[in-house]
Amino acid sequence: MALAFVATLAVAAPVYPVVAARSSLAFSGTQQGERFNGVFRAFDARIQYAPDDLAGSHFDVTIPLKSLDSKNSERDAALATADWFDFTHFPNATFRTVAMHMTATGVVADADVTIKGRTRRIAFPFTWKGAASGATLDARVTLDRLDYGLGTGDWADDAMIGRKVEVTVRLVLGPVVPGEVPVAKSTLKSVGQPKPKR
Amino acid sequence: MALRSTAGGWGSVTRTFHWGMLVLLLGIVSVGYYMTTLPLGPVKLKIYALHKSIGLTLLVLAILRALWRLSEQRPALPVMPIWQVRVAHSAHLLLYGLLLLMPLSGWLYNSASGFPLQWFHVLNLPALARADPHLKVLARSVHEIGAVALIGVVALHALVALKHHFIDNDVTLRRMLPWRGDRF
Repeated sequence: MALAFVATLAVAAPVYPVVAARSSLAFSGTQQGERFNGVFRAFDARIQYAPDDLAGSHFDVTIPLKSLDSKNSERDAALATADWFDFTHFPNATFRTVAMHMTATGVVADADVTIKGRTRRIAFPFTWKGAASGATLDARVTLDRLDYGLGTGDWADDAMIGRKVEVTVRLVLGPVVPGEVPVAKSTLKSVGQPKPKR
Repeated sequence: MALRSTAGGWGSVTRTFHWGMLVLLLGIVSVGYYMTTLPLGPVKLKIYALHKSIGLTLLVLAILRALWRLSEQRPALPVMPIWQVRVAHSAHLLLYGLLLLMPLSGWLYNSASGFPLQWFHVLNLPALARADPHLKVLARSVHEIGAVALIGVVALHALVALKHHFIDNDVTLRRMLPWRGDRF
């Protein structure tokens, strides 16, 4: 009985702690024909993964949207309004994998992305590099902002603000400490604190 | 009317610069004041884009006009006191300076704010500086004070031209009018 329990633990995909200072969640859009970049300075990521146990692997990420920074205070203020992210009513975005499967080009997760109360299932191909000291997870996906009601009404014009938004994820994951309960959630950086004045 | 100015009067190129830029200036100043009153929205961004496009046009025109002005002779001034000649030269130099300062400070303000810069949906231009809140405040102040100064100097310029025409009864205004030939 005890042996069986240990065996079950041994095959469960481990949960990795996120190294906040070296991880990033960035996005890139276009405004009037010019690319701009932004980041979410905070996110909670629970990364449970084993390459040989895709069924037991899950990513669960919550992004407090007020941590958004597009290096332009006017644009950030606009993105907070009801036409865009509507921070007041939808303070968080979430990302949850529902399945993972191996493809010819690598592992692809099916994930539910919820922004502004709208959920879309996306294909999330990612690169996992495991090492003794932890692992890195890199991914890049393109979202259509209108799928999530971002920039509605007159803002919908693709020439003014491009519909396609490229999201780049880089997670640096620390070593899984054997025999310890893995850190289920790691709060990255300062969610509740004001952004540094720019 | 000749293309180039002569000792007797302004050429058609100079007159076209003069009145064309005045029309654009009236437009950009009106748009500039109107756009700041708009609520945040795509309309505001489009009006700002128009302001920036006209501003870039005026920057190119100001450079071309300055080069043209340096390359040709200018008509003789009417007989007037030396202090008026000096004031006239200083005011015209100030006008050229402000015509260059306004688009450049606007461009800098735009860059320091982190906004894109596009000329009439045709051409995107690089930022003059990285996004910087301190530079943004400085560039904005220069742009706003410069606007008031430019309006003031242009108004003075127009008043003095009318004074030459109606009080001194000389050719100063007439020889710049677009519909007049070289004969006065």
